[in-house]
Amino acid sequence: MLQDILVTGLVNGGVYALLAVGFSLIFGVARIVNIAHTAFYMLAAYAFYTLLVKVGLGFLASSVLAVAGVTLFSVLCYRLVIEPVREHEAAVLIATIALALIFQELMLFSFGGNYLGIPSTLEGGVRVLGVSIPYQRMLILVVAAAMLTAAWFILYRTRLGLAIRATANDLEVASLMGMNVHRIAMATVAISVALAAIAGVVVAPVFVVDPFMWLSPLVTMLAIVVLGGLGSLKGSLIGALIIGYVEAITVFAVPAGAYLKGAVALAIMVGVLLARPEGLFGVAFEEER
Amino acid sequence: MYWLRWGWAELKNEVVVLPSRTLVLAWAAALLVLPAVYDDAYVLRILTMTCIFAIFAASWDLLAGYTGQVNFGHALFFGAGAYTSALMSHKLGITPWATIWAGAAVAMLFGALVGYLCLRLRGSYLSLATLAFPLIALGLLFAFPDFSGGELGISGVRRLMLTPTANYYIASISMLAIVFGLWQLADSNFGIVLHAIRDDEVAARASGINTPRYKLTVFAVSAAAAGFAGALFAHYLRVAGPSTLEVALSFQVVIWGIFGGVATIYGPVAAVFILYPLTEWLGSFKALGELRLLIFAAIVLLVLLFMPRGLTPWVRDKIETQCPRCKQRNGAWRSVCRLCGAALKAQVAGAQRLVGHQ
Amino acid sequence: MLRSIVLAAAAALASTAVHAQTLKIAVLGPMSFVQGENHWAGAEMARDEINKAGGINVGGKRMQVELIRADTNEIQSVSDATNAIERVITRDKADFLTGGFRSEAVLAMQEVAMDYKKIFLGAGAAHSKLGANVEASYERYKYWFRVTPVKDTDLVRTLFAVLNTIAQQIRTELKTDMPKVAILAEKAVWTEALIAAVQKNLPAMKMEVVGTWQPSATATDVTAELSAIDRSGAQLVFTILSGPVGISVGRQMGERNMKAVAWGINVEAQKEEFWQAAAGKAQFVSTLDTLAEVELTPKTVSFVKAFKARFKKAPTYNAGTYDAIMLLKTAIEQTGTTNADKLVPVIEKMSYVGAAAVLEFDKRHDPVWAPGKNTGIAVQWQDGKKVPFWPPNVKGMQPFKMPAR
Repeated sequence: MLQDILVTGLVNGGVYALLAVGFSLIFGVARIVNIAHTAFYMLAAYAFYTLLVKVGLGFLASSVLAVAGVTLFSVLCYRLVIEPVREHEAAVLIATIALALIFQELMLFSFGGNYLGIPSTLEGGVRVLGVSIPYQRMLILVVAAAMLTAAWFILYRTRLGLAIRATANDLEVASLMGMNVHRIAMATVAISVALAAIAGVVVAPVFVVDPFMWLSPLVTMLAIVVLGGLGSLKGSLIGALIIGYVEAITVFAVPAGAYLKGAVALAIMVGVLLARPEGLFGVAFEEER
Repeated sequence: MYWLRWGWAELKNEVVVLPSRTLVLAWAAALLVLPAVYDDAYVLRILTMTCIFAIFAASWDLLAGYTGQVNFGHALFFGAGAYTSALMSHKLGITPWATIWAGAAVAMLFGALVGYLCLRLRGSYLSLATLAFPLIALGLLFAFPDFSGGELGISGVRRLMLTPTANYYIASISMLAIVFGLWQLADSNFGIVLHAIRDDEVAARASGINTPRYKLTVFAVSAAAAGFAGALFAHYLRVAGPSTLEVALSFQVVIWGIFGGVATIYGPVAAVFILYPLTEWLGSFKALGELRLLIFAAIVLLVLLFMPRGLTPWVRDKIETQCPRCKQRNGAWRSVCRLCGAALKAQVAGAQRLVGHQ
Repeated sequence: MLRSIVLAAAAALASTAVHAQTLKIAVLGPMSFVQGENHWAGAEMARDEINKAGGINVGGKRMQVELIRADTNEIQSVSDATNAIERVITRDKADFLTGGFRSEAVLAMQEVAMDYKKIFLGAGAAHSKLGANVEASYERYKYWFRVTPVKDTDLVRTLFAVLNTIAQQIRTELKTDMPKVAILAEKAVWTEALIAAVQKNLPAMKMEVVGTWQPSATATDVTAELSAIDRSGAQLVFTILSGPVGISVGRQMGERNMKAVAWGINVEAQKEEFWQAAAGKAQFVSTLDTLAEVELTPKTVSFVKAFKARFKKAPTYNAGTYDAIMLLKTAIEQTGTTNADKLVPVIEKMSYVGAAAVLEFDKRHDPVWAPGKNTGIAVQWQDGKKVPFWPPNVKGMQPFKMPAR
């Protein structure tokens, strides 16, 4: 049972990390609570499905096209919908909710409420410590690790990353130093959505694709981000692993209570917040004036 | 006779002078006389639902708009009210007239609890943390199906009234009373303190205001109103189910609130009265029925692009102007303030005079 | 302001719908989903068949059937569903109602329909509370009839009958006396009674229950549950699933190469789209079902064939709206009236040979479960095809298969 928990928690934690890091990034830099984040994840899964199953492109071509397409689309959405109302925090919030609903309804309209299945990228599986893990899940883990490393590299080893971190630290000063904060925000949106889209593409073959698939990861992702500390990448990563393991432990320890895994994860988040209102790795809030 | 004269004077001097007040009065009167003029069961049903959701949206605004505690889990209070009232009247056989108050009271307790847990949280943390509460409650409901009815909820709940018209009056009168009460509360000194807490909590505390107490009180009052709406909902539909706790409902109320304009109370109410019948009306078309949520979201998005502060503040700015001297509001057609006599369009008038001299 | 425009427009719309010499039947369902599609498709088949034959003979007068398509949006919102049913009754002046799927929404819709004393023929919700209402308060709820499916407690009988057959096959093929059974049921009220029944009766049926797992109905990932089941050495997974979790179970069992075979209720596996949704991995998943190209009644094969020819896919049990409307036609022609109060006693006494079953109603207005008349069937997915294998002695059945060891 212990090895089951170890492996399952790690795989699920990897997927959650992909989603949470992107969300945290865009919040940290642009202060946007992007409810539509997982909706982009859903869009990527649908794009991948269409290209792979309907058009018949290969795995590589479909995944690259799906991720690139969704990322471009997100930048377009940002320019058209979010940027004009950036000044009004409430309006940004509801705009992202409305976007998510629009995506959901568009997919419902064009694909129907049916559950769609996507063939696995890699067939077969391997037994580790007596636990059978399909290769697809290994792939998810590898992709998640690679992407998180890439994101870390961009953020901490490139000029763009420096600019992003500077903006996250202090938007006004960054702007005064002559940085184009609008363009940096846009780049952040692109990176963040690209991470979500990649998550959508690698995860789609494991889960089912349907117009409501964005809701449950949204809640989990928000719990992770809040648990780890908003805007903290390290926090998101560790939060994702915590939630992944908490869910796995719930399922294995209390088989008849497997349905409670979401509620338990959320309760843990609330518990952490009670002890540390800024999350595990969040920066304690300056009283904003 | 005195009251009549007083009423007439109030009406003439305080209401008709401002188009927004006139609109509100006309709307309230229209709501009350509608069944006498147009007694159609379908329209009454839609309006009953609209009134119930209007209470819900207004209660959210008191919490989110005035104190800035943007609650993403407001459905918790709606669901608490619905389940409490339904359970008490169904299992204990208490009359629904009493249980809706119990529903509001239990929702109030939940509100105080959530408020207490969230006292140290602010901004986005609070929003995202509150999202969790209805989902935890949902998990608990599924864990105790004998008590909660699980995915089916509690059905066969007793009605308050039998006829559609009577039910409509219950909903509309409660709505008018609660919304007016919330509005009065928000307009009182209490409301001013809430504004202060939202804009600068540190300064408010430095001025000797016990901010946690205010925040808790607002959570409780707002939750009680939401719970009342939930209880009405349960007794009207005769079902209190898990759909009253879903994320979708929590999001819905955020959309209504922000679309209408926060920190106004009347804004979210106006938003519900526009958006709810509108989506329902779209749904009645064969071709559009399945697209209604899409059209709904698109409308919300478009309106926000043009009115980022929400619908009612935008409309109000169009039909009224603020006196630069005494800050009182005036009809947009006036050139001098109705109270202090200051020129309302001074700069424009001055500019024209200049043009005239040349 | 806008509200008054909306009201005026709504009023204008209503006035154009003049009551003509047609019989209006409202089809209520979640139209963006497979359930609603089948509600509507089944009703369309019935309408066209009736109208082509000249309509329904109401006491000597021929009336055409007109369908009203009402999207209840019930999967997303219960209040939308009650609004929709109120609209079709008061605005569109529907004479009869059929459809419905999500139990929570159907219970709310039932109330509205009963307020207006309209006959409501359910074709989707399985919950026994719907029928219990009829028994508890007959005068109010007598207008409700459930055409399909059989109520949840009757499902157990079919499940056990099939389970016995499969267990026998496991005993002979695996040479074991006590086949090990894992129960995998979604967490929901409707599964409670079923789980209790299985746990209680299996030892007497010479089977061993190795554990019960209860994921959420909408879980997308059941790897944790499945590895635990794998570890328990179960040879049969008894599924009680109605939500999308059924797809994940089918697919992930295949991906893990599990040796256990799945039998039980898996509503998603009843759908034509299941094989694709599970990415072709759900080999040998079996489930209770309602319709197939086998001779359940003399009408089944021709109905399923016609349905497939017209809609390019096989019907699900929600296409029971077809039986509902045809049954209504028979009842109306027998009595010569469309008066609901006169129709109810007639429908109660009817024995109607439908496409899916021979329909008779009990005192709860639920369809009576009876071998040879109304039991449902068992199907198994074999290489992309849904193959019926139970009840035996029905023309068209094929053998049940098990994964190779």
